[in-house]
Amino acid sequence: MSAEIVKTILYFLSGGFLIFLAITITRDSFSSRLNRVTGAMLGLAGLGPIFMALGMVISHSATVPINFEDSTLYSFYHLWEFFFPFLLVFSWIYPIDRFRNFRHKRLLYIVFIPQVIHLIVVLFFGNLTQILAALEIGAGEEGVSTLILGPLSRLLSWLLLLVSYVRTNHAAVFGIVNLLYVFTAIYFLESGRRYLSNPRLLSQTKVVLWGTRIGLGLFVIARLGSTILPYRFSENVTNSLLIAALLCGAGIFIFATIRYQFLDVRLIFRQSFVYTITSALLVAVYILLVVQSKQFFSPIFGEQAELVSYAFIIILLLLFQPINNWIDNAIRSMFLRTRSDHRNIIERFSRQVISQFDPAHLRQIIEETLKTFLLVDRVHFVLFNDTINEYATVPSDEYPRQVVIERSDMMLRGINLLDNPTQIRALHDYRENSELARILDERRVRLILPMKDAKHLLGFLALTDKITGYRYSSDDLNLLGVLSNQMVTALTNARLYVESLERIRLQEEVSMARQIQLDLLPSEPPKLTCSEISALSTPSRTVGGDFYDFIELDNGCIGVVIADASGKGMPAALMIAQIQAIIRSEVTNGNSIPTMLKHLNQQVVTTTSSEKYATLFYGELHPDTGEFHYSNAGHNYPILIRGDGSMELLQVGGLVVGALPHMEYQSAKTVLGSDDILFLFTDGLSEAMDDQEQEYTEDRIREFVHSHRNEDACDLMAHILEDVLAFDPTDPPRDDTTIVAIKMNDALEYHG
Amino acid sequence: MKLSDRVQDGIIILQPKGKIMGGPDASLLHTKLHECIENDQKKVIIDLGQVDWMNSTGLGILISSYTSLRNSGGELKLAQVTDKIQSLLIITKLVSVFDSFDSVEEAIKAFK
Repeated sequence: MSAEIVKTILYFLSGGFLIFLAITITRDSFSSRLNRVTGAMLGLAGLGPIFMALGMVISHSATVPINFEDSTLYSFYHLWEFFFPFLLVFSWIYPIDRFRNFRHKRLLYIVFIPQVIHLIVVLFFGNLTQILAALEIGAGEEGVSTLILGPLSRLLSWLLLLVSYVRTNHAAVFGIVNLLYVFTAIYFLESGRRYLSNPRLLSQTKVVLWGTRIGLGLFVIARLGSTILPYRFSENVTNSLLIAALLCGAGIFIFATIRYQFLDVRLIFRQSFVYTITSALLVAVYILLVVQSKQFFSPIFGEQAELVSYAFIIILLLLFQPINNWIDNAIRSMFLRTRSDHRNIIERFSRQVISQFDPAHLRQIIEETLKTFLLVDRVHFVLFNDTINEYATVPSDEYPRQVVIERSDMMLRGINLLDNPTQIRALHDYRENSELARILDERRVRLILPMKDAKHLLGFLALTDKITGYRYSSDDLNLLGVLSNQMVTALTNARLYVESLERIRLQEEVSMARQIQLDLLPSEPPKLTCSEISALSTPSRTVGGDFYDFIELDNGCIGVVIADASGKGMPAALMIAQIQAIIRSEVTNGNSIPTMLKHLNQQVVTTTSSEKYATLFYGELHPDTGEFHYSNAGHNYPILIRGDGSMELLQVGGLVVGALPHMEYQSAKTVLGSDDILFLFTDGLSEAMDDQEQEYTEDRIREFVHSHRNEDACDLMAHILEDVLAFDPTDPPRDDTTIVAIKMNDALEYHG
Repeated sequence: MKLSDRVQDGIIILQPKGKIMGGPDASLLHTKLHECIENDQKKVIIDLGQVDWMNSTGLGILISSYTSLRNSGGELKLAQVTDKIQSLLIITKLVSVFDSFDSVEEAIKAFK
């Protein structure tokens, strides 16, 4: 193989390679300006070597060898110089799109003028000189118009001279112009880096810039050596430098594309790069092996060499696929499974958020992920705020004020209908009178990422443009869709976690309250010579609204209280704590029972709302005489069973306490004799319900107590509880249940 | 609890149905009563004929209805009080507070 053929093949290959790259990049995201410009730039760069290779074919063709530089093809060869203006444009939009905010975008075409002139001069030089010459002659004719046409004629002749000069030295003139483009572009590329702070973008830019530097550096050296400098490189050196420039530049671009997601090329295309390159290399090695195999085997196998070489080829073919796969996998694991690969982003993100329950930290992780991997410039959160029960912006350093979004806001309604990440311009119909639309515009929001669980919109993320100014690709939108689902899960988990913490705290508080309530109940009934007392209070929730109390009074009497606050749970518990305290302070001050109840009622009325009240029975037992003074404030009638079996109900008193102000109460007196039973209870006992929704009823309690009147207080209480539990086995009981049983004994007779 | 209401001779007649047990029942009745008070319709009869059951909270609702009407210069009467509720009113001695009547018509008559 001669050097010329190798050179031709290399030119073809490098040119073809660049054009393949250009097509792939442009096709991947045609709507992106950066992809279009890069594609055009690389495609044009590929045209150069292709034309060179064609030129070599022509100049070495066996039949009619033509010098490349004299052919028409050579004139078209200059098309590739449009690479330079595109390079300049590329340097303006990479790594940051600085062209985006430029108002007069049409002025861009100015940068193409030198190359257009060059092409015209080269292609139409003959026609051009003819036209100019004709005009000059026309203008030079004698006549009235000489005065006007004279200067024009002189101008035209200068122009003709200039065109001729340019035509003669076009390679050097436009070589210099192109080099100016290269230097300017390098300057812009380098200065563009200053705008960057995102680590992923920085590393990507670094690689791309090195590719550009090396490629352009080699090109500049080759150009300076072949056209401009007085010292000339040999043609071989120039060619090698150019090929090296093309391959280095393109190679590093591909590397940046695959490894650093330069241009956001989709994974599938990045994989196809890898696949194409490995396959091409492998095929080249195979061809070499197959070609060389016969020569290699003939000294060993002699005449059988041909047969052996066929077998070798078959073995090679069988191995092709596995080897190719192996190389492919190795390269993928080296380049593609990087931090910026979507699968890895999702995996990493879910790992981070799954154990994160602090909403603020969670938002930070979301923001960082979007900024690092999708290059989002700003992330704004609008979330449903449980405290105010409205959607509101989440304050950030930039916008520290929380803005509440009205539920009727049109834009919010529009977003509520979304399921996927959506460009804000698609919500154009919902802008009318929308405060949210105004806020989003002010923050330059481009993309809305709704976060919905099965039913509700938890909120949404409002994303601005990317830092680079590029658009969101369809890959980005897919990734955002997946991420938003994970965000929903994470945000929901975080909320549930906070709620469960709150619940645990409340439960702890309630059990502390229960302990306080237990401490407020007498630890055991007073031991009296005259009577035996049993008492029990079971709440239907952790804390209850019933209580009983025994108070030792200065006059030797024992105060007995049973009370039931309306409602259940904590509110009722707080109320009875208050009632118990008031009773204790009132009776120890020596107030009579009606006065005590009057004061109690008045205090409860003024401190609670009107639907809160309590029923209460209070009595004072004189242990020596058996005298019992009592008053019933709307409570279930206590049952008094006399030793002879007759029954009395203790009804005298007044209205429930806490319902209405300025109530008066009456009290009554009875004497308890031996074997009398006084049975006090709350409605939890009488309203116990069986599965037919029949109540246990007060009548049944009376009958039960009557028929068990010979038992002592403790047994009576145990037996009636057993009976009620058999009737209504609900556990804990439906309502707070309290019983106090007092059984008078014979001791009284000695004093009575 | 379900609550229906009608006006007869300028008197509001509220008819709760089912069980009066507090929670949402309380706010339902409160809202209705406050509406009446704001509209200056302060003569109210609560018809308890359809109420099967009432617990202590339910009784609290009746008490607060009575209080809010009385505080705004209005008046509350009960009609068709069932035996169960009547005995509850007797035990709590609220029977002396509420004017109760066997039928709605009698209650209306009592307002005139």
